[in-house]
Amino acid sequence: MKALATPAALILAALAYFVPSVAGGAPVVYAACTSIAILAVMAYGADLILSYLGEVSLGHTIFWAAGGYAASMLAVNAGWNGWQTAGAAIVVSLVLAAALGLATLRTREFVFSLVTYAAAVVAMEVAFNWPFLGGSDGIVGVPPLELTLFGHGINGAGDAALWPVAWALLMLTLLFIERFRQSRLGTSALMVQMNPDLAQALGVDARAVRFLVFVTSAPISALAGWLYAYQRAYVGPDMFESYFLVLMLTAIVVVGRRLLLGPLIGTALIIVQQTFFSIGGDGDKIVLGAVLAAILLLWPKGLIGLWDVLRRPPASARSPTAPARRQ
Amino acid sequence: MNLAQQLINGLVLGSGYALIAIGWTVLLGAARLVNFAHGQLYMLAAFIAWAAMAHLGVNYFVAVPIAVLALGLLGIVLQGMMLRLVMQQNLTSLMIVTLGFGYLFQGGAARLFGGNPERFISPLQTSEIRFGDIWFTWQDVLTLVCTLLLFGALWLVLNRTRLGALVRSVAEDPKLAQLFGINATLVYIGVFVFECAAVALGAGLVAPRSPILTSMGFDEVILTFVVVVLGGIGSVVGSLVAGFGLGLFTALFGALVSPAYTTAAAFALLLVVLVARPRGLGAR
Repeated sequence: MKALATPAALILAALAYFVPSVAGGAPVVYAACTSIAILAVMAYGADLILSYLGEVSLGHTIFWAAGGYAASMLAVNAGWNGWQTAGAAIVVSLVLAAALGLATLRTREFVFSLVTYAAAVVAMEVAFNWPFLGGSDGIVGVPPLELTLFGHGINGAGDAALWPVAWALLMLTLLFIERFRQSRLGTSALMVQMNPDLAQALGVDARAVRFLVFVTSAPISALAGWLYAYQRAYVGPDMFESYFLVLMLTAIVVVGRRLLLGPLIGTALIIVQQTFFSIGGDGDKIVLGAVLAAILLLWPKGLIGLWDVLRRPPASARSPTAPARRQ
Repeated sequence: MNLAQQLINGLVLGSGYALIAIGWTVLLGAARLVNFAHGQLYMLAAFIAWAAMAHLGVNYFVAVPIAVLALGLLGIVLQGMMLRLVMQQNLTSLMIVTLGFGYLFQGGAARLFGGNPERFISPLQTSEIRFGDIWFTWQDVLTLVCTLLLFGALWLVLNRTRLGALVRSVAEDPKLAQLFGINATLVYIGVFVFECAAVALGAGLVAPRSPILTSMGFDEVILTFVVVVLGGIGSVVGSLVAGFGLGLFTALFGALVSPAYTTAAAFALLLVVLVARPRGLGAR
């Protein structure tokens, strides 16, 4: 089984690349696929906190917006290319995450959520009022993404041109998350969440783990924001809107926490609904909010919980990173 | 700047903050439940009162109790749905559930009441009181009086009655309280209904200050966040002090430094305090 996992994953990843063209290749299909990839990457940033630390970060819109703002400002004002703006997005998000991580070092549970939410509110107000960041108008006219390596690459705008980049970013993110799950940090994080006493007895510094996971998660959401800026050719304070926050959380919980593909499938379900089965902006809000609440109220484990109901006794070959839930 | 006027403004703002925050403070103290739909509940209450006035033709003093009653009923429904998670004290999931509810209410209200700003008018909002160059409205007086009465009554109930003792015992240790035959379920429902009704009263008194929008949600009540945490989790007196303190801070910061960054400044203050004292200023 295990020996087949890597080739199977590679084949799936390659197949994913052809999803939009197989699905007809219409502009709306490319738009949906590119958006799914970008927003899923955004959700994976918050997933690291929610699934592995067991905390609810309401501040990941900060990193998402930071990536977008870094990309647009440097591309518009300084003419930086895609690699440079991506590097800047990572650096900016790391700095912000380190500051916020230090501020929240001693907070837990709802206090952690309240503080991260407070930080997002402050960030939005600053972005809205500070002329340096474009104020309420945001930054318009982001040039096409220029991303070349050894003379090859893309120089494009629009969803079809950006799809390869979005796909690559998503695959890299998945690879990163998979590595994180098996890393010392990832397993320590789970231990701190599930059994803090054991973690302490084994010499794991819970605060250091929490801080490192928080800082690690930020560039993921930031790179999603980076690509989002090129996709829309515009960034503004609307990147702080609760839509993105609710979308991240719903994407994570809808299928089930601590599943590698969970946030991707969750994002895909949401975006497909909003693109192809939309019942108007307000109607979509009702759907998204109701799904989020209903999943947690009815199947707290997510849709995967249905699988457990169907299959009893539960499969013995559980992945090592999905131990029993607390409580 | 007229200092006396700013102090009055601060007291007026502060009584509003405290009034909107009180339900949340009690909920957080008793059930450790962070209700992220608080702002949307405020919005719903304002629109229900507005709709009662616009469509049923009732006057302001009937519309506000209707909104309080409606939100109280909604509170029973919501808490009924969340009860299993509340009894498990699954706080992470509960927080996300309330975010979902908030988003649902926002979309639902936009469908129901339309996306335009509406004017929810109190007859007292236009009757001003002037002393020299200081002015305020009778609505401000009503808000202040109601806030003080509600806080006083709540303090008495929580600290001097059997009912208050029940709530405090469930807050302290729900499992132990149940062993002593206390029905924690009823206490949780009661506390949640109080939160919804209190925020509805807050909306009835405070929302007439400006046009109401279905999208206002959290932005309108965002500062109550600061009140709840600064005042100390579950502390009634702390919330009142924090409410007035924050009102004065906002009024003075807005007048002296910059009105645009007032919210950011209040939250920056909160961040500083939380770094120093993670459980809030009023923590024991």
